[in-house]
Amino acid sequence: MRTADFIELLVHDTSATAPGVALRRLLTALLAGGLVTLAIVALGLRCQPLLTAAQQPWFWMKAGYTGLLAIAGAVMVKRLSTPGARLGPAPFAAALIVLAMLALGAGQIVATAPGARLTLWLGHTWKVCSPLILLLAVPIYACLVVAIRRLAPTRLGLTGAAAGFAAGALAATLYGLHCPEQAAAFAATWYSLGIAAATALGAITGGRLLRW
Amino acid sequence: MQQEETEERLRPLMIRSLEGDAGSHRQLLGLLGRYLRGYFARRLRAQAAEVEDLVQETLLAVHLKRDSYDRSLPFTPWAYALARYKLIDHLRRRHRSIQVPLEDAGALFAAEDAEEGAIRTDLDRLLQRLPDRQRTLIEDVKIKGFSVEEAARKRGITAVSARVMLHRSLKWLNQALRDENG
Repeated sequence: MRTADFIELLVHDTSATAPGVALRRLLTALLAGGLVTLAIVALGLRCQPLLTAAQQPWFWMKAGYTGLLAIAGAVMVKRLSTPGARLGPAPFAAALIVLAMLALGAGQIVATAPGARLTLWLGHTWKVCSPLILLLAVPIYACLVVAIRRLAPTRLGLTGAAAGFAAGALAATLYGLHCPEQAAAFAATWYSLGIAAATALGAITGGRLLRW
Repeated sequence: MQQEETEERLRPLMIRSLEGDAGSHRQLLGLLGRYLRGYFARRLRAQAAEVEDLVQETLLAVHLKRDSYDRSLPFTPWAYALARYKLIDHLRRRHRSIQVPLEDAGALFAAEDAEEGAIRTDLDRLLQRLPDRQRTLIEDVKIKGFSVEEAARKRGITAVSARVMLHRSLKWLNQALRDENG
């Protein structure tokens, strides 16, 4: 087939596309994956009632931390799925948010009596926290992968990492509905570790899963 | 300077093509084909046939992936990133390790080459593997020069389902090209 003929064939398939379709697909993926994860948190883990959680300031402390990270992650995914777009300041913003949370957690530990520090840091659930967040990130990551493949990522490993990061941060936010831990030091460590594990999962699988 | 001119020429074409204007889409793909040919030829130092295969494959990607273009951003970096991705993917599939430098988008638009290489058979060969219904639709449109509406009427289906069929065939073609040679 001559290239000129092939172009004619492609021209027959011209159709109008609405602006912002890329962003809409990614947000839909976050919503769909988030709903699956929310269902697992609500039915599988039996989270505390939403109204109870929403009255706790420490719930919002954790949700604020991971929610901001999820937004930064979503921005990175969008930019990495757009060929030629710059990554922009989102990674720095994410790093600053993590550093601020680590500082808050460290400050909390310093301010606690030495004998109570370990209990504050480990809480009652430190062993299950990070693995559960990683597990809960999987449905969100899977939905993101489907959406990203329809766009055009050119740096696959990095895009996978950003998708894993966004999925992990959103999963951690929803996990907060179940998690009874109250300390900033706890969230700064075990939530962050869970998100880091989801990021690693994305970095490892991205090259294979996101090829188009 | 030259790249600014290219940007000013191509970006409006891309935007009108996204709005569904077939003429702009044809013009855009034609111009991109010339630049891609020049770019790949310099990078691959390969036979014209291989270059032309990659040009066709990349034009198909430009066509199918145009959703990913953000209308608020310049067009030339988008096209360059897509072309570079296809070039790297092409080399990887053939297990050749040639470093592809990350350059300014201008690298893609440095030279035009309107001279098509040999008539390529890759696409024709793959099209033979399509189910009959899809293949004959493509042949009617491509070889006999029917419009999609005419081709649809001929086989008693609606124009909408003919369009869907054509679009699916192109997506299938894109995947088949990707999956060839690993």
